[in-house]
Amino acid sequence: MAKEIFMPKLSSTMEVGTLLQWLKEEGDPVQVGDPLFEIMTDKINIEVESYEEGVLLKKYYEVDDEVPINTIIGYIGEAGETVPDEPPASEGEEVQEEVDSPKAEKTTMEQEQEELEEVEGQVGKVRATPAARRVARENDLSLETISGSGPKGRIHEQDVLDAVKENAVLITPLAEKMAKDHQLDVRKIEGTGIRGKIEKSDVERYLSSQKVREEEPAERVKLKGLRKAVADKMLESARSIPHVTLTTEVDMTKVIDIRKNLLPIVENETGYRLSFTEIIIKSTAHTLTKHRNINASLIDNEIVYNKAVNIGLAVAVDNGLIVPSIHDADKKGLAELTAVSKTLGKKARDSKLTPAEMTGSTFTISNLGMYAIDGFTPIINPPETAILGVGRITEKPVVVDGNITVRPMMVLSLSFDHRAIDGAPAAAFLTELKETLENPYSLFV
Amino acid sequence: MRVITYLEAVREAMQQEMRQNDDVYILGEDIGLYGGAFGVTRGMIEEFGPERVRNTPISESGIAGAAVGSALTGMRPILELQFSDFITIATDQMVNQAAKLRYMYGGKGNVPMVLRTPSGSGTGAAAQHSQSLEAWMTHIPGLKVIQPSTAYDAKGLLKAAIDDANPVVFYEHKLLYGTKSEVPEDLYSIPIGVADVKREGTDITIVATAVMVHKSLEAAKELEKEGISVEVVDPRTLVPLDEETIVKSVAKTGHLVVVHEAVKRGGYGGEIASMIAESEAFDYLDAPIKRLGGVAAPIPYNPELEKLAVPQVPDIIKAVKETLNKA
Repeated sequence: MAKEIFMPKLSSTMEVGTLLQWLKEEGDPVQVGDPLFEIMTDKINIEVESYEEGVLLKKYYEVDDEVPINTIIGYIGEAGETVPDEPPASEGEEVQEEVDSPKAEKTTMEQEQEELEEVEGQVGKVRATPAARRVARENDLSLETISGSGPKGRIHEQDVLDAVKENAVLITPLAEKMAKDHQLDVRKIEGTGIRGKIEKSDVERYLSSQKVREEEPAERVKLKGLRKAVADKMLESARSIPHVTLTTEVDMTKVIDIRKNLLPIVENETGYRLSFTEIIIKSTAHTLTKHRNINASLIDNEIVYNKAVNIGLAVAVDNGLIVPSIHDADKKGLAELTAVSKTLGKKARDSKLTPAEMTGSTFTISNLGMYAIDGFTPIINPPETAILGVGRITEKPVVVDGNITVRPMMVLSLSFDHRAIDGAPAAAFLTELKETLENPYSLFV
Repeated sequence: MRVITYLEAVREAMQQEMRQNDDVYILGEDIGLYGGAFGVTRGMIEEFGPERVRNTPISESGIAGAAVGSALTGMRPILELQFSDFITIATDQMVNQAAKLRYMYGGKGNVPMVLRTPSGSGTGAAAQHSQSLEAWMTHIPGLKVIQPSTAYDAKGLLKAAIDDANPVVFYEHKLLYGTKSEVPEDLYSIPIGVADVKREGTDITIVATAVMVHKSLEAAKELEKEGISVEVVDPRTLVPLDEETIVKSVAKTGHLVVVHEAVKRGGYGGEIASMIAESEAFDYLDAPIKRLGGVAAPIPYNPELEKLAVPQVPDIIKAVKETLNKA
């Protein structure tokens, strides 16, 4: 016997729920505890789990429908069981109608007649012999679609066999194999052969038309593992931290020059190629030593001004984002920074970072300079209170000493936590960082 | 092969067994010179003498009790009740003694006896001499119940019943005594608990007992003319019942009509129908199972009414057609 699925009443004030999505399709097997659908109430979004085991037989409502509580929105039961086409009225409504009905008095005859009809046409019951049911089961046919030749419309084995034959599709063996390989419903393919026989070309035509017509259904992946961790952290940060983002443009002429000169030296020493990232890390760490209020963490209503300057480096990995920490970045030379950042990057991508390497950062740099990104508003990596977003270096016309000239320019975006840091100190830090990058020789001072 | 009557087959089984086994003897009312109510034992007292063909007083309880006692002491009695209606009087001995003793003695004693008795209507013998009460005995654990429908089955099954270490109730049908079939001259045994497919068919199974086997075969012949292929299964023994053969047949045909002469209400047909409903064959049933049995009324003396009281060939034909949606 099929079991009803009701719109649950999830709070004392809830009267309707909005269906956000079905998580099962009709025909899907359902276990107890499987999420069936997601609804939105006046308070929350929630996935509703199944209390029954079986097959989802019927969905009466679509996404975005507003459904009153305790309404039957579907049925779960055994495959092949029949359920009403229309959602049955909930009990409450029926009672209401009876009370309202002025024609409460019915003759005994009428009542008897109704009772009789009720027994004969019992909702969702098909009159069929065991053999008919067996054959229908074997052929995956629904008895509802078959008309019975027996007394009172009873469906007999032959009726089912006739229906099977009627449903049988003329198809060549090759076309049938192709359809099977592509998991096609042969009944949807139009045959052009003799008596509508489906041939290879029909399947091919169907396949090519399908490619155009039917979009692949969207892939749904559950939030879990690293993705879930990233999602939680981002949500927490975005929701709890008042972000302010400052941007400035940096003339990278000299950094490019320095990098060109240092490249062979660093490569010779470490085997790794020096990148702009390391020069930016070095400059940032250096500047942070002079702006302790930016190198701060906000922990349990306390602003912690960190002594160590540990730069977190956002690394994109499969399905997520990891921020390994370069400890004491201000005390490391460019060669060491290059070696460390390249090693940590590789370890992050290989999922081999140790917990120590993943924690302790006091300030994070997120570099999207390898893409065609000028500037962005990075989200702070709590409990840190600031993050630097690095854009690409691109040649732009700039005015230098009254003349328009072309310079390699780069946008820096500094997001800071306005609970811990105010605009002026943040601006001062970003200004000094810009100056450091434009005059990197100050790093040697 | 030689053709003899059902009655002769029953007598021959007893004679041949008595010739080779001194433990076997028969007892009953008027079975001596008179030859029994239907003449089954005619000539036997001349051959075996009054020691082994014992006339008894008119006391079914006494006859059955004597049989139980002598069986316990190692004899193999075959007792005859003139009419199966009188099993009521022998019932205490059969139900509370014969059926129980082997179990209550933990197998140290047994009761190898046969109770032979003619049953059924059709002879104008009225309500007290025409009943079919076999369902009563099938309900009692410890009793085997046999209902042969042909001379061949009667001889072979009676031999098996005599050889059996348990009490066996052997129902002969009055209307079948005169029917003939090929019967081997030598003694042979038909295993108890094996049904016989009397006619093979594909559209519908009729499970029939005793005289109804013949009526069903007649109906099958008529139905064949209309293109309906009927399989007729004769269980031959009700206890133990050959469920496998019946299940197999019903699974093949998908339709079942059960026919017996006994009153339908509480009759053995209900047992067969339920057995099918519980069996593997259920999923192959393509119509409700139909039972045909006697009407719930004492068998009338009026010969026309007597016929109406039990299933006849047209009733069987009608039931088959209804079951096949061809009525």
